[in-house]
Amino acid sequence: MAGRRGRSGWTDTAERALDLLVVLMVPVCLYTIFQLVPTEEKMGVVQRIFYFHVPSALAGFLGVVLCAVCSALYLSTRDRRFDRVAHASAELGVVFFTIVLLTGPIWARPVWGVWWTGEVRLTSTLVLWLMYAGYLILRQSAEDPEQAARWAGVLGIVGALDLPIIYKSVEWWRGLHPKVLKVSGGQGLDPAMGKAFGLCLVTFLLLFFALLIKRCRVGSLEDQVAELTHRTAPPSVRTEPA
Amino acid sequence: MSLQHLPSVASFLTLLAQEPVSGFTAENVATRPEIVERGLRFLNYAYTAVWVVLAVYLLSLSVRLRRLSLQVRRLKERAGP
Repeated sequence: MAGRRGRSGWTDTAERALDLLVVLMVPVCLYTIFQLVPTEEKMGVVQRIFYFHVPSALAGFLGVVLCAVCSALYLSTRDRRFDRVAHASAELGVVFFTIVLLTGPIWARPVWGVWWTGEVRLTSTLVLWLMYAGYLILRQSAEDPEQAARWAGVLGIVGALDLPIIYKSVEWWRGLHPKVLKVSGGQGLDPAMGKAFGLCLVTFLLLFFALLIKRCRVGSLEDQVAELTHRTAPPSVRTEPA
Repeated sequence: MSLQHLPSVASFLTLLAQEPVSGFTAENVATRPEIVERGLRFLNYAYTAVWVVLAVYLLSLSVRLRRLSLQVRRLKERAGP
């Protein structure tokens, strides 16, 4: 593959090992969720949505944080590699938050009786998704890639300011959304549920990094195409690359 | 999506909208199998949604990777050694 030129052998091996690990861990997760974990007594079987919903949310959080950090690094150094990682992370953030925004209402309907409420965690998550969807549209539609990278960098940093609101919303506004990670004074998760959750979380984070590597390769190939197109263009139409 | 799929999508959405509004409690989960069955149906919707999103994204990534690799190879051939 042309895009693989210049990559060392062990990088390829590590990437394939990561892919293989994810492929092996997904069925293990499904077996654990559907065969080993006890059914939650109040919500019943529908609570098992939690094992994919929450890890997706945390993978989405990771995408947004990585996007903000790499955007800040790009804006201060103008190194294209940071912009590439920021773009890839934003895209993955949108993918994982799409899963969150689909599975959340499917869980809410039988448990709360409604698909959606104006609850702060739900609304702020939707706002975050819209901001990063806007980020991707901005990257796609801009004519000057350099300017788009700068504007998207700012948007990537501003969008991440929504994360503390999402995380703390249940405490600050006493929302309906269950507290998942921190149950102060409560019973917390059943140990079997906690282990299954940990396994799913690790699997989703590995999936995130496996997809991130592939998405960064897409970005690298896009840059190569831009550079080669500039080199092969006739001198009369050649302009300085951004 | 083609027009011939619209009736099946519409019937699926109607089915979702017709779900009776009710909440789960420890008692009715334990005693009412229809509640468990309904929970399984929603569980099925949720896991289907997860796999569809991931499959579509993986497919789009592989299409982009293949297209760009081909484009790079062609441009390198055109650029020469």
